[in-house]
Amino acid sequence: MRVDFVKAVETVLARDADALFITGDLGFNALEGLVAKYGKRFINAGVAEQGMMGLAAGLALTGMRPWVYSIAPFATYRCMEQIRNDVCLHQLPVRIVGNGGGYTYGIMGSTHHALEDFAVLKALPNMRLFFPCANDHVAAAVAQMGELDGPSYLRLSVSAYNTDRAPLSENALTLTRSYAVRADPSKPGVTVIGAGHGVQVALRALAAHGLDRENVDVFGIARFPFSLTADSALLASVLETKNVVFIEEHYAAGGMGESMKLALPPLSAFSLMCASYHPDQHYGSAAFHMKQSQLTPEALLTLVQAQLRAP
Amino acid sequence: MSEAVKPIVLCRTALAIRRKFLRMHYEARSGHVGSGLSAIDLLTYLYSVWLRDNDHFILSKGHGASSLYATLHHFGKLSDAELATYYKDDTLLPAHPAPRGVVGIPAATGSLGHGLPIATGMAHSYKHLRGTDARVACLLSDGECNEGSTWEAALFAGHHRLSNLQVLVDANGIQGFGRTEDVLTLEPFAKKWQAFGFDVSECDGHDFGALHAALSQPSSGRPRCLIARTVKGKGISFMENTVDWHYWPINDEQYKQAVSELDQTESELLR
Repeated sequence: MRVDFVKAVETVLARDADALFITGDLGFNALEGLVAKYGKRFINAGVAEQGMMGLAAGLALTGMRPWVYSIAPFATYRCMEQIRNDVCLHQLPVRIVGNGGGYTYGIMGSTHHALEDFAVLKALPNMRLFFPCANDHVAAAVAQMGELDGPSYLRLSVSAYNTDRAPLSENALTLTRSYAVRADPSKPGVTVIGAGHGVQVALRALAAHGLDRENVDVFGIARFPFSLTADSALLASVLETKNVVFIEEHYAAGGMGESMKLALPPLSAFSLMCASYHPDQHYGSAAFHMKQSQLTPEALLTLVQAQLRAP
Repeated sequence: MSEAVKPIVLCRTALAIRRKFLRMHYEARSGHVGSGLSAIDLLTYLYSVWLRDNDHFILSKGHGASSLYATLHHFGKLSDAELATYYKDDTLLPAHPAPRGVVGIPAATGSLGHGLPIATGMAHSYKHLRGTDARVACLLSDGECNEGSTWEAALFAGHHRLSNLQVLVDANGIQGFGRTEDVLTLEPFAKKWQAFGFDVSECDGHDFGALHAALSQPSSGRPRCLIARTVKGKGISFMENTVDWHYWPINDEQYKQAVSELDQTESELLR
């Protein structure tokens, strides 16, 4: 997603003379083109995330519109209070970009995982979250962020189950994607909803594990706060199936799943597949961590089948 | 010397602000009296002399908000009606500056270590992106220099030679739970700022002649820091130099005594 992001943000920088890019000393082999092209509008704030976020707020107070980049855990947790006080309370157009949502950075270890970023940020006033489902979903999110007058966060991620599957449709306003529709709407069905790249688990299950033979709708959502009234296809599906499986690479507490459950009308079943903490603290690839958390296409299929066949 | 810079004029302005400030705290029964009193002479100088129309001021020591409100009111930037709401329900003037509440207070502060990064972003924008001659002054407490984020911003300001940034440290030597030198030693304080790329001066923060000398030097192309040696609770004998007056509100008896001390100071000034 990083390559797609750089391309998209370059469009914003080219169009908006008050936009600028700040990095917390990260972006090797990705941001060099921006440095060369934008000179003074590219700032390396150093390894200093708190200072960087306050700096971005100060720049925004003078009318600039900064994009602030680091890896997801560094762009969010260390400078959480600067995001809250300096950016959100002042309703400033600071666009925070966290690369490596969820388990993207797998073997780099737990300090590099971002499994609480939604929880930390979604509680903040005026904050809007964007979490593209796939590489070709990034540009639309960046374009929407570029139009906002207030704070926003972009979570860039790579799924261990990345599957190249085109969406059937995409809601231009909410960015919600439909990836599969039920073969027989008159029969019991399940609505599978993935938050951002979490939906890739479902796409892999559709492509390689037989989920396509089950009566499922599959949606990928990409924004918070939700706009469910505008998400008519997703809402219609849930009203018909009353049966939801939600997938996200994030802990249950504070994730998109719990917010979605609250936002949806009463259901017969709501299952959450999400990241879980493992006290033994062994590390591996993103796929290793996904398996540890039962965040797999196989587990999804089992869950869907169980919900479909529930009495 | 222009009229505005004359120490006698500045002393009288500061006295008027202290009166207003004490009345606000007395009526509101609010704390942070000592921290405000140590900063009032610095605010008086900034608003009387240093700040031009396109310059900006960030009060990083947000617990000094009431001294800033009293100063803004003195200079006609807050109305009587606005000031009367201080510390009351539905006010834009809480104990620490609010976001987007008051023209002249660009940033909400109160959690320490936030003001200098913000001021640095503003100064960087004006100097390197907007190309204007706007300057930014930022007032820190000495205790606030415990915060790592303050030094992150100092590194940035030094590296980018933000000559339009003036840091002032209200160095009253007392922080939340003790004396700064007992809690975390800051000395050699001036050398620390110098090492971060600042031009540093140091003076008595209640001596307007010294403040003027320190704050009116020609630019050397680097950011500046003034370590203003101040007295917490300055101007009221029983409030001076104690941790207690970071917290206590003022009672009737204390208020009467404080006002009579200001009267005494004023009559000595006029003699």
